[in-house]
Amino acid sequence: MSVDLSTALGRLRLKNPIATASGTFGYGLEFADYLDLASLGAISVKGLSRRECRGNPPPRICETDAGMLNAIGLQNVGVDAFMAEKLPELARLGATVIANVWGDTEEDYVAVVERIGDDRRVAAIEVNVSCPNVVRGGMIFGNNPEALAALVKRIRSATRQPLVVKLSPNVTDIVASARAAVDAGADALSLINTVVGLAIDLERREPKIGFTTGGLSGPAIRPIALRMVWEVRTALPKIPIFGMGGIETVEHVAEFLVAGANAVQIGTANFRDPSVAGRLVGELAAWCESHGVARVSDLVGTLRTRPREDHAFV
Amino acid sequence: MAVNESLRVLKTIHYDEQHYSLFLSAGAIGARTKPGHFAMIQVGEGLRPYLRRAFSIADVTKVAGVPALEFVVKIAGVGTAALARFAEGTPLGVLGPLGVPFPIDDLLPSDRVAVVAGGIGLAPLVLLARTFAARGIAADLFYGGRNENDVLKRGDFERFLGPHRCRYATDDGSLGRKGRVTDLLAQALQGGARYRRVYACGPVPMFRTLARVLRDADLEGSFAMESEMACGFGVCLGCVVPMADGRFATICKEGPCVPPTAIDWARL
Repeated sequence: MSVDLSTALGRLRLKNPIATASGTFGYGLEFADYLDLASLGAISVKGLSRRECRGNPPPRICETDAGMLNAIGLQNVGVDAFMAEKLPELARLGATVIANVWGDTEEDYVAVVERIGDDRRVAAIEVNVSCPNVVRGGMIFGNNPEALAALVKRIRSATRQPLVVKLSPNVTDIVASARAAVDAGADALSLINTVVGLAIDLERREPKIGFTTGGLSGPAIRPIALRMVWEVRTALPKIPIFGMGGIETVEHVAEFLVAGANAVQIGTANFRDPSVAGRLVGELAAWCESHGVARVSDLVGTLRTRPREDHAFV
Repeated sequence: MAVNESLRVLKTIHYDEQHYSLFLSAGAIGARTKPGHFAMIQVGEGLRPYLRRAFSIADVTKVAGVPALEFVVKIAGVGTAALARFAEGTPLGVLGPLGVPFPIDDLLPSDRVAVVAGGIGLAPLVLLARTFAARGIAADLFYGGRNENDVLKRGDFERFLGPHRCRYATDDGSLGRKGRVTDLLAQALQGGARYRRVYACGPVPMFRTLARVLRDADLEGSFAMESEMACGFGVCLGCVVPMADGRFATICKEGPCVPPTAIDWARL
């Protein structure tokens, strides 16, 4: 049995559902020695801003149980350097590139998106409205459905590229965020970004991270991510979803697809093993075959839930 | 180019309760390793510790005739404690060699250099000393620790560099001079010693002092820096240090071996 791994997120068609997550995959080129970039469904590059950004002062990361906290502060080379120095090489290597973008203001986002323009070497734009580690911008948009809708509307009118909005899990109602983004013109959603957390150096009574709080990632957040993918899939049956959060194994990939994701992004696991995303592509085909799944898209949203019953007092 | 491969545990030598040497099969990493390179080692399959750990490659050697990488480790947390307990034959994921090694290609046989180690900072300096011996470059070792147990692998250093070129300092005077290793070097400089370059690895307070000593003596240095890192190859951007030019630079990619003049010591 040959397995059809292809998947579609609206206009964005991927050869397989294994992508890599922004902030954990550099500009892709750093991984070229450890896997074949062209074998991946897509790569989402480090969040690009209008100008080069030097990021937060250290310490920026610490390990936690089953994961890590980071507050990098969106350090990146800037969109101009990315387009001139990174994108040509990514295209040469056959990578399907998702350009992750961010800004402090609506104008900043629009400027980055306009700089990318209709460049065919970019397959989609992913809007980061969910970074918890910057003083301005970032999550300020992601935590407020009205601000999010206004931002997505402006970006939508500034580009014809497929538009993916990466949502923050640091909200009470993820469906409200999802609806706001979709109603404002998002073609697809990415969920989730990191979960705000705090780690303490007890002897010093100081936070382990210079920014005080950081974004929690890794296997520790996988149940939260699965729950949010499932909630959004249930509320918005048609919207394409990239699911991510603590994926390490092919079983985790399949769990996200079953919960409702059309594709997944591998994140923190890339730090632990830079070859993992490439390996998962082959493992997914084998998993599908052993489970009698002919098309990977047949798995999407197939979670069988029981009806919830009202609690009964005796 | 670095390699991501699975290496087997060949042997572990415990020096005391805190310090040990871990020997892994050399794989493809061994032949590519230069002094100052490091590797990221996966400490088991579980979720705690979750991330790989960065270790200097202390030596490229042999264990019972089998090519081996040696890592000299001080137990400082869950990762280094777990790594001490693997049985012979256990496969561990290793990525390496990584980073910018010590600059040594420009040295001439007539050059004299100094090697300064603080505590577990000896780790990247063993292969460096071996390389100096092989090239016939005269190197003076200045090695300090809190006590005698902190000063490891003296036999190797004395074999590579000559016992008369190895000087020690300890906080409690249990080995060598009582005091700081940076004072040993400063005294040697006052006594007229001149070095083409000073290679060093140790804790940040030692680096700070040493940077001043080298600046005052107008000597070139190369420091092998340490920083907590998640990936080891320039992607997570977690291991940055403040640079003199105002940037934050990754220790994994722009280091670990950097000239001390490149670091903004006041902001570190």
